[in-house]
Amino acid sequence: MAQVMKNQGKVLPDDDSADLRAIGFRSLDFSELALRVEDETGEELNFDAPGLRQIATVGDVLDFLLQLQSE
Amino acid sequence: MSESGTTRAGLPGDGNRVVASGRQLTWRELRTADLPSPVAVLAATGLDALAAARQHAVQGTELVLSTPSRVDAELRDELADAGFTVVRLDDGDVTVIEKGRQRAAEPERLWLLTSGSTGRPKRVGHTLDSLTTVRSTQEPRTWLCPYSPGTYAWWQVVTLSLTQPGQDLVVIEPSQLDNWAQIASEHGVTAASGTPTFWRQAIYRDSEALAKVPLRQITLGGEPVDQAILDQLRQIFPAARVSWIYASSELGASIVVHDGRAGFPQEWLDRSATDRPTISVDGDELVIRSPYHGAGLTGAVRTGDRVEIVDGRVHIVGRLNSDEINVGGSKISAGLVRHVLTAHPQVAWARVTSRKAPIVGRMVVAEVVLAPAADRAEVDEAALIKWSGDRLPDYGVPRRIRFLDEIPVKETLKSDV
Repeated sequence: MAQVMKNQGKVLPDDDSADLRAIGFRSLDFSELALRVEDETGEELNFDAPGLRQIATVGDVLDFLLQLQSE
Repeated sequence: MSESGTTRAGLPGDGNRVVASGRQLTWRELRTADLPSPVAVLAATGLDALAAARQHAVQGTELVLSTPSRVDAELRDELADAGFTVVRLDDGDVTVIEKGRQRAAEPERLWLLTSGSTGRPKRVGHTLDSLTTVRSTQEPRTWLCPYSPGTYAWWQVVTLSLTQPGQDLVVIEPSQLDNWAQIASEHGVTAASGTPTFWRQAIYRDSEALAKVPLRQITLGGEPVDQAILDQLRQIFPAARVSWIYASSELGASIVVHDGRAGFPQEWLDRSATDRPTISVDGDELVIRSPYHGAGLTGAVRTGDRVEIVDGRVHIVGRLNSDEINVGGSKISAGLVRHVLTAHPQVAWARVTSRKAPIVGRMVVAEVVLAPAADRAEVDEAALIKWSGDRLPDYGVPRRIRFLDEIPVKETLKSDV
């Protein structure tokens, strides 16, 4: 997630409760992050759209991706 | 004597020099093979391909010309079923591979195999005359012919040498593509035609060797042509004319641009003339009505190529079915993204595609080959994303960039960018 932010000239805050909109982490960034996770794990992620809507903070993103990988 | 009985005594280019397969001779001195008609010749060497071409020109043999590697067993069966006796021509020796279904030959007919929209090659009918697009008297030149035998681009160079005195030919075999520049220098090549990938690879491999070729005419075609490659060639060859050409087996040479710029002037659209192609755009598709088209094609032909008009220039950016990438409802041309990447001074080559992604459906991704002198620590994924972000809308920025070590090139000299 830090790399995605860095590539966009932004910095990922240490605080997991940081609001995604406030730090400028947009849907394109989330999509990129998913591709990076897929490249790392070698597996295609299966996303649940309703679940995605509940993601609001940095911590939500990380939890969500962890959850997807454990499924 | 062929079945057609249309033998010509000689050809205007018969005295031209031909360098191929390690030999140097004139067209007239090429060994004539005993070929049936109709025939599909799979030429083992460049010299064999030239011999088959001259035989067609002199005797009117109905001919499909290709190479053993481009014609698989299924295609051989299709050709035989269509009446072509399939032969391998190797150092002048003819070996019949498959006998064709019995039918009368169509004198002077030449067939080109195209890749076809379905992936299976299809035949497009031409004659030597319809393939000859350069008719005005040319200054003496020595042409490089790096193309695969029997392709439209190959015939363009070959017909020029066959039909005009003073147009010598240096044929490059696939095994010589790595060091064609040295061969071209040795034989004094002054004119060369190749795909943008071909030129990029030459610059990437050894730009110093390339600069030693005494080129006066440089032509690009067969793939979308971007400003970066035109500028690089202009820099290496400041005195040469750098042209790009849009041509296809179906339509012939339709657009020729000599002003050193990518794209062609928008004013050229919808200009009507009987002796030249009429170029139009329907939606974002290039549509051409051409006097040089293949047999059976009439009227306006939808090319399947996508255009983007930028600052009064019409750019042919890629295939209609693959160029447009929809990123969360916003559309971007893969070709334009590729042009942005190749405009980076440290990028030697780029391919832009899309990849399935959550939320937005698809995302723009790219493969890149950096220039040999590039600082790989400095020009990384983040740097190229920033470069693209400064020049493209956010949805058009490639978010994943893979770095390759070599420019991929196929037998067609293309890399399917």
